[in-house]
Amino acid sequence: MNTGQTKQGMKIIGVIILIYALLVATHEGEFWPFSIYPMFSQAGNPWTRAMVLDVTDTTDDLIWHVQTLDGKMGSPVSMRNIGVDQIDYSNFISKTENWTESRRDALRQMFGPENIGNSRWMAAKVHGKMIGRDSVTVTIQPFLLVTADTVHMNPLLGEEYYFQGDH
Amino acid sequence: MKWAENIGRGLFEPERSTSNGELWFFKFLELFVSVYTVIFVWEWGWYTQLRNVEVVLPLGLANYMDVSLFFDHNLALINAALITLLVILCYFRIGPKWLYMVVLILFHLQYVIRFSQGEIPHSQNLIGMSVFCFAIGAWFFPGEKQMPRFVLGSIIFFIGLGYTSAFFSKLIGTGFNWYDGRHLWLWISEKSIDILSREGVYQPNILQQMALNSTAIASVILLIGWFTELIGFTMWWKKIRPYTTALLIGMHIGITLTMNIRFDAFVMQLILVGFPWYKLIDHFTVSMPDIVRKWI
Repeated sequence: MNTGQTKQGMKIIGVIILIYALLVATHEGEFWPFSIYPMFSQAGNPWTRAMVLDVTDTTDDLIWHVQTLDGKMGSPVSMRNIGVDQIDYSNFISKTENWTESRRDALRQMFGPENIGNSRWMAAKVHGKMIGRDSVTVTIQPFLLVTADTVHMNPLLGEEYYFQGDH
Repeated sequence: MKWAENIGRGLFEPERSTSNGELWFFKFLELFVSVYTVIFVWEWGWYTQLRNVEVVLPLGLANYMDVSLFFDHNLALINAALITLLVILCYFRIGPKWLYMVVLILFHLQYVIRFSQGEIPHSQNLIGMSVFCFAIGAWFFPGEKQMPRFVLGSIIFFIGLGYTSAFFSKLIGTGFNWYDGRHLWLWISEKSIDILSREGVYQPNILQQMALNSTAIASVILLIGWFTELIGFTMWWKKIRPYTTALLIGMHIGITLTMNIRFDAFVMQLILVGFPWYKLIDHFTVSMPDIVRKWI
């Protein structure tokens, strides 16, 4: 590239930056592959993730109660082993505002009834936050009990826990 | 504007003549980007076909069209096949000069179809930005010697911009205390749940244990990473570029060790564009036997 083409190149980059800024500004910071790269920008906030526990051998009176990470009932089901992207699953659980029947069934389909078989899987929300100034606490909130053909909501949680937006 | 000319000279090096090594390297870089593009679109296509049921989070074009149409009837796989065909045509410069732009649009579509489930990953952004730079380069600088300079220069520009932008996102989102080591504790615990859920087991490594045992160590880890992001833009200048790139690669290794987040394609591409590999190729082509050089 000669000097003239270099100037033209910089002008084109300038125009791209304007388009870039316009697209990310109007799409909450993301218009792939353009991004403001906001990951980890808000530090110190409590977080919510999700996991699946195999509660096939746990009695019904225990499965719905809040648990600690060390005292969890049932072993974690590996998402990799059932071909589900863990981050997808976690976002599906944490970002769904209205757990309509179709959304609950979509979760069952995500796991795959053939993977569940005769087991009972507990889709749980996992919450983490700072306690005081020197420790992090993690709690497990049982959320949806999934079998090969049914999905049950936690009877200990109010309906407002499952339906938070307009529906 | 002097500063724009200065950046332009750093990125596009108008004073330097094009060497054979540079042209060879450029075709290798294009092959790398093409292969990863094909890998990504097929991975996303298969996952969509097997797992996507409902749109949880509409991204990009998904705000304006119902991408759930692509969840069935193998449409995501058909899109992957179409992108693959177009990438091959583009690589061999068959077809109109705007063909790369069509690849980019279909690539974007495939991304928003696959990642309509709530996750917004960034590890594929650099391949996406590279396809974008190839699209602009092929359109505005189609010449055999001009396109490599523009494409490589613009990729480097947007890498530097992205890292520095990430620094300011953290400064605006949290403030100067972003590097407080306790923030790292929260992220380590958060990612540990992802690993436990993904694999069924989780064991912290030595670096994570050190960070969890000492606020000071955790703070230093964050501070080094944050500072490295800030100076990302210094990649725009040729002489500083290898050093900045080495720091950025080190930062990514640190992220992988502390938060179990891997950026394989990202790091490989940093290695490719951050160092002057063409000099090495030129050296070999000069020192190789005449018969081999003529054949090449």
